[in-house]
Amino acid sequence: MSKQYLTLHTVDNAHPKASDIFAVAPTPTQLLSASGSSSINVYDTTQPDFPLVQTLDKAHPLGIHHLVTAKESTARRAASAGFEGKVKVWSQGDDGLWIEDGEIVDQHKPGEIWAIALSADGQYLASSSINGKINVWSLDKAQSFPRIREYETKGSFGLCVALSDNGSFTASGHENGSIYVFSNETGRLVHSLAGLVHPVRSVAFSPASKLLAAGGDARVIALYDVTSGEQVANFTGHGGWVLTLDWSNTGEYLLSGSHDSKAKVWRIETRACVATHSHGDKPLWTAKWLPKAPTKSEMFALGGGNNSISFYREAAG
Amino acid sequence: MDLEDVEDMLFITPSSQESFDNLWDEDFYDEETLDVADNEYESDDDLFDAPLDVTADSWQLLSSSPLLTPADASIALQDDMVMGGSGDCLGSVEVLSVEVGKRMPRDRHWVIARLEAMLERIVDGLLEGSERLTLTLNSRAGISRRQPVAKISFEAAPAPKVRQISFPGSSAQEALNFTILLRIIELVHGGLVDNTIMTKRDIYYRHPDLFVKQAVVDRYVDDLACTLGISRSKLNVTAAAKGLVAGCFTINREDGTQFDGMNGKEGLLVPKIGEKDRLDLTRVRWILVIEKEATFRSLLSATQWEKLGLDGLVLTAKGYPDVASRSFLRQLTDHAPHVPIYAFVDLDPDGIAILSTYKYGSYRLAHENVAPKDTPALSLPNLRWLGVKRHHISRVPVNESGTDTSAMPELQGLMKLTARDRTKATRMLEWNLCCETGPEQEWRRELQTMLMLNVKAELQILEELPGGVVSFLSTKLGQMEETEIDVVANPACSDDGLLF
Repeated sequence: MSKQYLTLHTVDNAHPKASDIFAVAPTPTQLLSASGSSSINVYDTTQPDFPLVQTLDKAHPLGIHHLVTAKESTARRAASAGFEGKVKVWSQGDDGLWIEDGEIVDQHKPGEIWAIALSADGQYLASSSINGKINVWSLDKAQSFPRIREYETKGSFGLCVALSDNGSFTASGHENGSIYVFSNETGRLVHSLAGLVHPVRSVAFSPASKLLAAGGDARVIALYDVTSGEQVANFTGHGGWVLTLDWSNTGEYLLSGSHDSKAKVWRIETRACVATHSHGDKPLWTAKWLPKAPTKSEMFALGGGNNSISFYREAAG
Repeated sequence: MDLEDVEDMLFITPSSQESFDNLWDEDFYDEETLDVADNEYESDDDLFDAPLDVTADSWQLLSSSPLLTPADASIALQDDMVMGGSGDCLGSVEVLSVEVGKRMPRDRHWVIARLEAMLERIVDGLLEGSERLTLTLNSRAGISRRQPVAKISFEAAPAPKVRQISFPGSSAQEALNFTILLRIIELVHGGLVDNTIMTKRDIYYRHPDLFVKQAVVDRYVDDLACTLGISRSKLNVTAAAKGLVAGCFTINREDGTQFDGMNGKEGLLVPKIGEKDRLDLTRVRWILVIEKEATFRSLLSATQWEKLGLDGLVLTAKGYPDVASRSFLRQLTDHAPHVPIYAFVDLDPDGIAILSTYKYGSYRLAHENVAPKDTPALSLPNLRWLGVKRHHISRVPVNESGTDTSAMPELQGLMKLTARDRTKATRMLEWNLCCETGPEQEWRRELQTMLMLNVKAELQILEELPGGVVSFLSTKLGQMEETEIDVVANPACSDDGLLF
């Protein structure tokens, strides 16, 4: 049984100079977007035309490759990583506007941080790096964002990182196909997951923190049980590298985006692809569900190399 | 590998294949490869990791050869070589004494006189028993394109940095550098007096024990030219020609001989085009610049070349282009401005940097940009980027639902970026050409994509397509001609058919 999603709205030329949109990150009322240009855009997702309500200018002069938001509505936290090597933390004030809250500074080797992820409560940030190290930082401003966990891996480029909603686990995906799961409580490696030989470009925990999805150049999305470390499913169907993964709010669906510009929605229970959408003809860098509002249907946003953000809504009936 | 390369291996011990390949690359001194930040300019001397063996032998050799030979004594100039302040190369040459009246042409005699003046000061210093002897040099060696965007237009050449090199100086390394520079001045002076032309290699082989690396000679010769505000050819030093060319063009020489671009199966060394020579480009419908020699040769030995070669001209400078190749291309485009020039380079940071050197010129050799008539000479602003681009190598769905995953093989030739690649790509994003508001947005996006995916592709990857690189090029050149895109209006070249 397939699902229908309709294009609700498209923001064309979202960022200046035809830059690629590398990341979108939702909050309950907004969507933030980041691209090869230096600024972060903030769109209001409660309005039908998704107006641009704020621009964070010159956030990263060389472009922004990762942008994440904390899931919980009270968190009001975001983080961005730029090509110049800096990671900035942002907070949303009571007036709804975002301001810069500080930077993560890696004392040991500045500039190596690559992918970032925020905990659901916005208190912690996990980062991967080019040399494979995975770090977890506390976003306690009073203590200047200290590092609280440092996980060594075998040295392969850490392409992606994720934090489970319950805060217990950090997962990372690497260029050599490795996937690691660390326990934040004990600070130790819990699993080294097998199965993907090619670069892993995206990892994502299910909302209940029970499953981990991973995908990359193998074009197959692997699903693992977090407790046992066993691979429990494979989703095949993408024709290009999988660049982005996101679980729906209930954990029923997985949204994936690929280098060949296609987005797919998978139903976990039946292990089947229930919808496929094209987003232009350039790589689809980012695909995210919008937090579900009580009276509204499921929505997701896609962003990619064509410099436009498309909003989709589940068709009624 | 040809004989030259073997010789190089004998005299130079490259630490890696990369540095070896860079031997002729003008950007070998990229601060990136030296791992030196811009503000640590002085440590560029680390390049000269020769053994610090300033033996008595080297010095004696120097003192036994005549430093000054009788030059044309009719020109006497007061030379004040102190280049204080921020002046650029041209501005610092305030040397005219009142009697001369007008600005001297910087001909051979002028250069000889300037060099002799530099040497005289050294001799004076020795006679006076000075504690230290100093040579002052202007250099653009360490300068990159990382200028604050607001300040400098990307067309202006940056001001060079001023260096003082003293003997005995503050370290054995400085003493060695002084010796090297002095020897080079002497050799160049000798060439000018005899009115013979040397190549940089010739200079190197005159005293390889002292110079140790070709790169050392290259750099100091360039700095010397920059200091005097002239092009290197005015020092009677040329780069050995490294470019190769082939195609349907001829040069009819003043003496009646003819250079025929179709001669030979492997291309010809890039020729010099003299003022009195006549260039015949009537059959040339396109010019293709290829980064790699191997691809150039592949093309020439393919059967399609019989037909292709009738329409166009191909050139390779084997990587970063030398002045001779760029100068040749410039002359071609001056002669036939309507003929499109395409660049075919690797999809990696160096490829784009090579593209930029052809298109905009080399910042470090900015003083070479001034032709005799003071026109900007060596840039190719209409150069178009043919490829390789990411959409040439990415998979596209074979049908609407995109579920057929077995249709096409993955290209095997994709490679991971090295740490140097990543550093270079990041630095290039700071260039005023590739910055957010710069003119080369397509380069910016390709660099960012490379960093995102950590993937690069060499020209050879197109061999995996049916028909290989040659078919790709034939098709592309045919397409470009048909659609005649205005490069300014559509830098994304939407006419590119998806190949698979």
